Amino acid sequence: MAATPYALLVPALLALAAVSLYPIFYGVRASLHKYRYGLDMGSAGKQNYTDVYHDPVFWEAMKTTGKFVLLAVPIETLLGLLLALLVARELRFGSWIRVALILPMTIAPVVVGVIWRLMYASDIGIVNPLFSHLGLGTPDLLAHYTGAFLGLVAVDVWEWTPLLFLIILAGLHSLPQDPIEAAQVDGATRLQTFFHHTLPLLMPVLLVAVTLRTIDAVGTFDQIFVLTGGGPGTSTQLISIYSYNTAFLFTQYGQAMAMLVTLLACLLALMIPAVQLIRRNSRAAS
Amino acid sequence: MSETPVSAATAFERPLTRREVLKRGALGGTAIVFGSAIGFAPKRAWAAEKASSITIGTFQDPALTPIRDYFNGLFTKETGIKVNYHETSYNAWYQNAKNDGLNKTGAYDIYIMDDNWVPEFAAGRIIQSLDKLGFKVNPDILPKGVQQGLWPPKVGAKMKAFAKDTPELYAIVNIDDVEILYYNKDYFPKAPQTWDDIYRVGKKDFKPGKLYGWSARGVKGNPIVQTYLPLMSSYGANFVNPDWTPGFAGPEGVAALERLFSFIPFMPPGVAEFDTSQEVPVLLQGKCTALTEYTGSVHVIDDPTQSKVVGKIDTAATPKQERHGPAIGTFICGVASGAKNSQGALQYLEWFTSSRIQKQFARRGGSAAVTGSALHDPVAVKKYRWLPAIADAINTSIPKPRTPDEPKMEDILGTALNEALIEAIAKKSGYQAIAQKHLSSAASQITAYLKQQGGYF
Repeated sequence: MAATPYALLVPALLALAAVSLYPIFYGVRASLHKYRYGLDMGSAGKQNYTDVYHDPVFWEAMKTTGKFVLLAVPIETLLGLLLALLVARELRFGSWIRVALILPMTIAPVVVGVIWRLMYASDIGIVNPLFSHLGLGTPDLLAHYTGAFLGLVAVDVWEWTPLLFLIILAGLHSLPQDPIEAAQVDGATRLQTFFHHTLPLLMPVLLVAVTLRTIDAVGTFDQIFVLTGGGPGTSTQLISIYSYNTAFLFTQYGQAMAMLVTLLACLLALMIPAVQLIRRNSRAAS
Repeated sequence: MSETPVSAATAFERPLTRREVLKRGALGGTAIVFGSAIGFAPKRAWAAEKASSITIGTFQDPALTPIRDYFNGLFTKETGIKVNYHETSYNAWYQNAKNDGLNKTGAYDIYIMDDNWVPEFAAGRIIQSLDKLGFKVNPDILPKGVQQGLWPPKVGAKMKAFAKDTPELYAIVNIDDVEILYYNKDYFPKAPQTWDDIYRVGKKDFKPGKLYGWSARGVKGNPIVQTYLPLMSSYGANFVNPDWTPGFAGPEGVAALERLFSFIPFMPPGVAEFDTSQEVPVLLQGKCTALTEYTGSVHVIDDPTQSKVVGKIDTAATPKQERHGPAIGTFICGVASGAKNSQGALQYLEWFTSSRIQKQFARRGGSAAVTGSALHDPVAVKKYRWLPAIADAINTSIPKPRTPDEPKMEDILGTALNEALIEAIAKKSGYQAIAQKHLSSAASQITAYLKQQGGYF
């Protein structure tokens, strides 16, 4: 009877294994097979990995993904933190402001991509006339490598800052008030209170938020697919887009899975120390 | 022996009596017989229904609207065979069709495909050989359209594994989509014949922001490749040579790309991000003298809700330099490997590609019919002036490489062309060096990829 609770978990575990573990297992298996004309032609050994690692476009896509994450996530975190600090106080119409701030997050990423594609379009968009009106010329964002990349980061920041904002706001509301009040009583300025008390207490929440958002950002697909398709050139071709094209456009399923298994390994290598850091910070904060 | 009530607890604890065995046996036997009758009867009815119906799967496209809204119903009326028509997005349909064909699930009888799917679908036996099914090809269908459905191809480079195979018909064209030239008659009294004609008028009449001498699809990938192919072919270059070596990085291919760059001063500024939805409106707003595009745009040039130049746009085969060379990209139909009603599917395809029905297809909206008689039908041509241009374009068209690896080759070339265009726009000079650099890079990458895939060299 001591085994009964575990036995009751079995159906849920089986379901989880079916939707999580089996796809991973199948993906790893597919990465070791050769596919041609849509058919599994048998084992390819490590040939897919060799081909992928010799593909300069793959490394370019990994680099672009890294650049994208390193730029977008810190901006989203900083903005999210600032907005959360602003809204955490008692404000008039505070709830309405909160709702307005999280609206971008509620829109489907594909729709976000379409909206911004129309805004950036050089012929009918509003970005060119706006820049022109400010005396900055017409940027034609999607026709330039840097413009398209920064435009993509801007879209991601617009859409996902609300997520960081929500997580950090929840963290702020859950902070113990005694240390903060004590600091204020002792004469600490607001900045000193924030940097020496609020921020350290908030650190575990921040780390969790950044970790979650980083994992999400690495897999960004919908907006890019609609907005730029990975162009111009390969300037916005993240690994998600390149592996999608490799699998479904070029029908090289084995190579696509090799790319994604490599990406998974890189993410695990980053996430394990991240989780340890979160645990350490949680212990320190408590 | 009298029976006593049995509880669940005791039911399995005592042996069964003879009466209970007989009762349960009779009950079970009745259930089996009755259940089989119920089980088989619907299957028989379903099988009968399937024989009198076919299921067509396709991607959504305005060009297919007349088929969906009129011709399927006409086929049912004339033959009694019901047509189930399922459409979805392009990418989703490609995967659905492939999964259905590979697993022979039989959800569809006919796949409407993009013609560049044929090599993979035929080689992977996702579609059946129409020749083996006994399909009769209407001799009125333009030959270059028919060739799109052959595997291995009859002309051009062939993969080694299929080099000795006799070409068989695996798919039949149902819409002759091809690139044609759209030009504004206000600036071209007669159809421009060469790219020099386009350049002359573009340079002369260009007014920044008001009138452009050329509009193009410049975004990376398939769109810019479609922009480049008519130029490349007309200058005498090939996508690949018969031995699979890339044929666009030589002097002819470079000259063709230089010609495209020469239009930069009188193209819209953001052309490097343009796709069809941006390229064509420039023409429809009366702000462009000419462009090349597929036949789908003929349906909007005289639509007053979309065009400000109704009646002013005419069509012709794409300009030539040494030869004409529009890219052909037909809609094409195959019979699914797991089709439940292959004969019904065959009947539909023969019916739709017949000269009689194709004439109706052309007369109804000016669709890109597949037969010569339809494209030159006086009744249809009187109303839809672009039909003979479509016929000319098909007859002078040049197909893309017939291989399952064509999408990757196109992606490599399309990325290189986009990068070259961006560099040329930025630098405004040195076009030959820019063209050579990017085309050579694309050629090397394609060669390396084909070597990696094997079966080419």
